[in-house]
Amino acid sequence: MPNMEFQLGLALPTPSIIKGFDLNNLGLDHPKDMGGLEARNKPARCFSDKSKRSFEQAFGNFEAECKTKTLLLLWSGQPNEEEDHNDQKKRTFSTIDDRNDAEEVDQVVGWPPIKTWRKKIFQQQQQQHRVGRIGNNRVADKENGSRSIYVKVKMEGVAITRKVDIRLYRSYQTLTNSLITLFAKYKKCADDDYTRYILTYQDKEGDWLIAGDIPWQSFIRSVQRLKIVRNWG
Amino acid sequence: MQKKRAYSFPDEVLEHVFSFIQSGKDRNAVSMVCKSWYEIERWCRRKVFIGNCYAVSPKMVIKRFPEVRSIELKGKPHFADFNLVPDGWGGYVLPWIVEMAGAYPWLEEIRLKRMVVTDESLELIAKSFKNFKVLVLFSCEGFSTDGLAAIAAGCKNLRELDLRESEVDDLSGHWLTHFPETCTSLVSLNISCLGSDEVSFSALERLVGRCPNLRSLRLNRAVSLDKIANILCLAPQLVDFGTGNYTTELQPDVLSNLTAAFSSCKELKSLSGFWDVVPAYLPALYPVCSRLTSLNLSYATIHSPEIIKLVSHCPSLQRLLVLDYIEDSGLEALASSCKDLQELRVFPSDPFGVEPNVSLTEKGLVSVSLGCPKLQSVLYFCRQMTNAALVTIAQNCPNFTRFRLCIIEPKTADYLTREPLDVGFGAIVEHCKDLRRLSLSGLLTDRVFEYIGTYAKKLEMLSVAFAGDSDLGLHHVLSGCESLRKLEIRDCPFGDKAILANAAKLETMRSLWMSSCTVSFGACKLLGQKMHRLNVEVIDETEPPCSRPESCPVDKLYVYRSISGPRSDMPPFVWTMDEEGTILH
Repeated sequence: MPNMEFQLGLALPTPSIIKGFDLNNLGLDHPKDMGGLEARNKPARCFSDKSKRSFEQAFGNFEAECKTKTLLLLWSGQPNEEEDHNDQKKRTFSTIDDRNDAEEVDQVVGWPPIKTWRKKIFQQQQQQHRVGRIGNNRVADKENGSRSIYVKVKMEGVAITRKVDIRLYRSYQTLTNSLITLFAKYKKCADDDYTRYILTYQDKEGDWLIAGDIPWQSFIRSVQRLKIVRNWG
Repeated sequence: MQKKRAYSFPDEVLEHVFSFIQSGKDRNAVSMVCKSWYEIERWCRRKVFIGNCYAVSPKMVIKRFPEVRSIELKGKPHFADFNLVPDGWGGYVLPWIVEMAGAYPWLEEIRLKRMVVTDESLELIAKSFKNFKVLVLFSCEGFSTDGLAAIAAGCKNLRELDLRESEVDDLSGHWLTHFPETCTSLVSLNISCLGSDEVSFSALERLVGRCPNLRSLRLNRAVSLDKIANILCLAPQLVDFGTGNYTTELQPDVLSNLTAAFSSCKELKSLSGFWDVVPAYLPALYPVCSRLTSLNLSYATIHSPEIIKLVSHCPSLQRLLVLDYIEDSGLEALASSCKDLQELRVFPSDPFGVEPNVSLTEKGLVSVSLGCPKLQSVLYFCRQMTNAALVTIAQNCPNFTRFRLCIIEPKTADYLTREPLDVGFGAIVEHCKDLRRLSLSGLLTDRVFEYIGTYAKKLEMLSVAFAGDSDLGLHHVLSGCESLRKLEIRDCPFGDKAILANAAKLETMRSLWMSSCTVSFGACKLLGQKMHRLNVEVIDETEPPCSRPESCPVDKLYVYRSISGPRSDMPPFVWTMDEEGTILH
């Protein structure tokens, strides 16, 4: 009876590479023929070194371009929310490297397990806010005027980067209102009640400017990303 | 010659009794009582479910059940959803339609999942079944709107046309005009997967307007918000509605019209769609929120504050699908507003990002487990987890039937203790005695499989990735999980020993999928040779497995039980190991 050969302890008749399987030996046999397993089991993606562009450099750029009219975000006293994660402190003064945005992360096939059509929707949304240094990818904007424009928003001192769809807003006021809601919980207790923040943005040329200067319509065509910084001045 | 029976019930009486037995499992049990019951039962079985279209041939089904009215077929293995099954692998429905066209002229319902459906198949359906009523194509592909036009034109009594999650070659939106003016029978129409920007909206409106029994309507993304008010006014009796894109130029009337339209829908319980949401229009939903039991916001890129606002209006919510924009804070609000919640699915908004883009952690899931006592089904994508959280969740929710956790980075340990998550998942299987489906992730050793084999006695489907240390892990599962039907594994150090030692177990299961593991070609050949009721398929797109030594691991292995032998429609990159030890191709 062929099936018997697969029960415990019996060796298989054919002189194959497969050794007789004895439950007593489970785990003790060193899997010699698993060479190459290590390489295969590791996810193929590579974690690129995040060469962190220093905040000071960005700040310096922005200071040089400083315009007179500023848009101040006045934060009223909010209860302090604890940090979500101890590791966040390490990332405090870093900006996301442009290279990370532009390059394709080496991905393992079929991981994370998201259905193909869902990935397509996600990729469409990603395309709309993927930024490169030159020739930024805003194809979707041209194709269909009502499509979303996603930009990343970072707040100084907060590790989590948000993305907002600028098309949802009609003015600087509505944008800042929404940003205040989004970032309110990150206000540190070390700040006094009147810490002022400035909304800055990076334009198509890569320069950091203070938001509020140019008409809204021009702004949304030009903005690549947003950053909320403390006003030390 | 009439056989003498031990009792004197006429067949008609038994048939009448059997007609009350609907479930396939019960019907199978009935048919095994004795030969005469087998005979009577097979003539009156109206509904057949075939979980693997290659487990049996159409002719065999027709021979045993000559009077079927409703058939459900599943094709590709589940991992096909994630691109792990190469295109062209199989799952063709045409051979089934061809056979049924001759044998079942009164067929009313066809439900297919993960199958390849061609326009030819659809045209054949439209032509062959005079009383055809229900067509559900779930995650199918291979057909175009031309095939849909044939169905619309040919099926005079069509009640359901549901294309959920299928890939349709969208040639033209005009297929909708093929529904004749006399068609008033539609109850359910789901076209949410269609991509075309030119859905013939006027045809859709006319169709909706003349179908008074329409209960479920799911539109596709191309339909803009300003059109929805009209549709809802034509069909206020809807129970389930899927919007198109939820955006339009900000205009004063849109919101008030939309709110009025939703108010008129007194039966509406389920909402979905919501592509491209403009938050300003969400309040239009408030009139229906108190009755809502199901809400799918998983395409909506709205943030936590807006989600919280919406969800806090929905106290009757039983099912929520949402993106991780909801964050821990939103889940906490959900836990306090929606005490009837039974199913929660949280999808990642940025699955390929290296850094987290939202504040969604294990804490969110813990809140929901604490606040929602009826929670049964969970799908949760996140970036961190702890054993402590999983233990808490397990203790809070002993009624889980489905638990799928995906920690996005493979082999992520408990972030507080740096230990594997064995104990956490162990708690899940130990406390949740009715668990039928489980998906694992994170750093896991053989130990988690020991727990699963020991406790998960009702587990039917298990998905494993990047886990385990040795064959012992797989052995625990195959030898311990008594109810196991489907096992799918990728990128685990499981090889020959566990499979060969548990070969008999594989015949009690529907299927086993293993990819990027260490099962050797030699073991596959042996398995195919010895187990005659298993189809052992080796899938390799790069080179034939026999061009390498037999000890080399195969790329992908798909083993399933079958009474119809190896299939005849294999593509060049699939080999099956047959009884004589030859490799069929």
